[in-house]
Amino acid sequence: MTTVAPLLAARGASKAFFGNPVLRGVSIALQPGRVHALLGENGAGKSTLINLLSGALRPDGGEIEVDGRAVPRMTPALARQAGIAVVQQELSLTASLSIAENIGLGAYPKRFGLIDYNELAARAKAACALVGLNEPLSTPVGQLALGRRQMVEIAKALYRMPRVLILDEPTSSLSATETKILTDLLERLRGEGIAILYISHRLNEVMALCQHVTVLKDGTCTADRSLQGTDAAGLVRLMVGRDPGDLFPQWQPSASPASAISVRGFSAGLMRDVDLDIRAGEVLGVGGLVGQGQEDLLLGLYGAIPAKAASAVVNGASGLPGGVPKANALGLAYVPADRKREGLHLIHPILTNMMLPAFARLPALKLRSRKTERETGKSLAAQLAIKGDLQRPAQALSGGNQQKVALAKWMPHDPLVLLLNDPTRGVDVETKREIYLMLRGFAAAGKAVVLLSSDTPELVHLCDRVAVVREGRITATLERAALSEEAIVSAAMGAEKQKVAA
Amino acid sequence: MSMVPSAKSAGALYWPVQARRNIGVRSLFLVVLAFLVAYGVLFPGLFTASGFAKFTQSWFPLALVAMAQAILMLTGGISLAIGATVSLGAVIAATTMAGPLGVAGGVAIVVLAGLGIGAATGFIVVKLRLPAIVVTLAGSFIIGGAALLILPRPGGAIPAWLSDLLAGDTPAAFVLLVVIVLLWKLYLATPLGLSLYAAGENPVGAYRSGVPVDAARVAAYAISGLLSTGAGLFVAAQTGSGDPVIGTAFTLNSIAAAVLGGIGFLGGQGTMRGALAGSLLLSLMISVMFFLGFTPVAQYVAQGLIIIGAVAIPQFRKVQP
Repeated sequence: MTTVAPLLAARGASKAFFGNPVLRGVSIALQPGRVHALLGENGAGKSTLINLLSGALRPDGGEIEVDGRAVPRMTPALARQAGIAVVQQELSLTASLSIAENIGLGAYPKRFGLIDYNELAARAKAACALVGLNEPLSTPVGQLALGRRQMVEIAKALYRMPRVLILDEPTSSLSATETKILTDLLERLRGEGIAILYISHRLNEVMALCQHVTVLKDGTCTADRSLQGTDAAGLVRLMVGRDPGDLFPQWQPSASPASAISVRGFSAGLMRDVDLDIRAGEVLGVGGLVGQGQEDLLLGLYGAIPAKAASAVVNGASGLPGGVPKANALGLAYVPADRKREGLHLIHPILTNMMLPAFARLPALKLRSRKTERETGKSLAAQLAIKGDLQRPAQALSGGNQQKVALAKWMPHDPLVLLLNDPTRGVDVETKREIYLMLRGFAAAGKAVVLLSSDTPELVHLCDRVAVVREGRITATLERAALSEEAIVSAAMGAEKQKVAA
Repeated sequence: MSMVPSAKSAGALYWPVQARRNIGVRSLFLVVLAFLVAYGVLFPGLFTASGFAKFTQSWFPLALVAMAQAILMLTGGISLAIGATVSLGAVIAATTMAGPLGVAGGVAIVVLAGLGIGAATGFIVVKLRLPAIVVTLAGSFIIGGAALLILPRPGGAIPAWLSDLLAGDTPAAFVLLVVIVLLWKLYLATPLGLSLYAAGENPVGAYRSGVPVDAARVAAYAISGLLSTGAGLFVAAQTGSGDPVIGTAFTLNSIAAAVLGGIGFLGGQGTMRGALAGSLLLSLMISVMFFLGFTPVAQYVAQGLIIIGAVAIPQFRKVQP
């Protein structure tokens, strides 16, 4: 049926970052007059593929083709010339410029070297009309709500009259009405022969809008086929499923009935009205798509961001900690996801990093005992298998070992609750295994471990229970028996109604 | 796409956009107006021709350096070399204009020096990706040193007619300022000029949209250098001679004026009209306090407190919406 050359295609494209392969031999072909869905979990390589197609990155292997001809050195400028427009997840707008000035940015109509504001107004107005933006064109973008800004971003892409339109999760911040306008618009553009690549985590949208689907999993293509005769559950299966091998320790029940943290009507940041019980001796997973409020849940419990709750009991004390020192005193410890900026002080010695929480507890002007520090450091290093001289700066360590240091610094204080924000992100497999063993060890020793993770297999194989967060709420709490990658991904995407097990 | 805009849409975008930009600086304009009235009451001579001329002349160099600083802050940069560049402009003017090159030649050299120094600084900051604050701090030593090499002690001369024209009983300074502001509006109406905002606030997004981010930033540094040496030329005309350290105070005053005018440190926030109002406010504050009999030390303290207050008030508003 498709004898026409694809407007834009990747053939066997590969890309690696710092030796980590992100895409391996992925092919995709965007045909005119077709809405092509690109699906995959977080980290499957979707954004990298878009960046290759739009020239923002160059493939290590394979080719990018425009109109069937290979383009050896694709750049953003060439992509624009070829009529490829990308609506990125992060907006490319300037808050202090008006809607029209943002829409025309980089491609202003000119008259005597000056911006032709009349022409700009006419063309921007046409683009805005397509997406249903009726605010005055002179409104600064900074005054618009997030969803409206997203519409400006889309209008900006349309202003350039693209032949290929790539949309990276365009509906994540749109209201239902705006989503409807967008889907109608995409239908129309498809009818005009534009090739559309549509990335979304909302499966029902994909099912309704798209004709063809490419599914990525761990950087490889697991499906490239027509959407006809495919159901949502089938798509989910194509996105998940990995052989856990012997990466994960044998799971043993260790949960005791003792409650470590219990909150009712808890709100912090994006999270609203959360009821949650964290038991001593369990690993509680927190899953969901990136940025649904999981991090705010952890930070709120830790007192690092303002939080409130109808009722809360934290390690026997009633009320939320309300501040980090108080949380530490109650036996809470938090290990951030961003080791480089939040978790560690990279240019300082490993030993100093390990001692930092201890410094906070000592009297401010007491002299430090270097000997005790060295001994504590040594025993921590032995306990967590951190190799090498502790006087070296923390940045000399590999990502995995840095993560171990970020964990180790809390150990001397024997925390009762560990709040871990994606502790295995960017960590090599061997260290992952060590961390998993450690976490199960903590649980067996009666600590409560809260594991926020973007890695679904980790949640399935390591956790006693998993709370799935979507749009600021816990949409499902899956017990051990009900844990599967399909169940978590379905709940995270709202693909089907989940029974909420208490 | 209709190439012929309807009569109704002619100018229907440009002016509303301009009007919107006033919103953020309205309260600043009110404060400036209040200070103007106070100054007029304290010093009724303001409303005579020579009083007006004198006042605009005292404001003019500060207005130029405030613009020079604001344009850099809009791109997300900053300059600590503005004072040194003003000094350099002054000594170049004082050593060339009375010589064989004449006024025209002197002006040309001042202009080229400003553009050249600015472009070189911008090139180093943008292409080598070095922090602007460090590059311009080093630049201030180099440029200041060059000024001292050209004219080790105050001296040189500016032709008397030029001094009379620029700093005598004429509104020449005010006219020049109006012309400079119009040129700025013209620059901001070019794609490169408007790109300043995008390059400063969201460089990645601007780059992806096809904006020549690096070119916009280097151009901003060049314009900033030009405004600084231009201010130096004017200062030399005011004093009738060159002084290799006369510009020193302008570095911090230019930052103070830009901040008073609502220019943010993060890039892309603020307007040139705000920076100009900020420089006028600073200039008025200094004059009013002088007439109220503040000692110089008290003036500095009051100036500092007012600047902190001006920056803090919007923050308070944000906290309690």
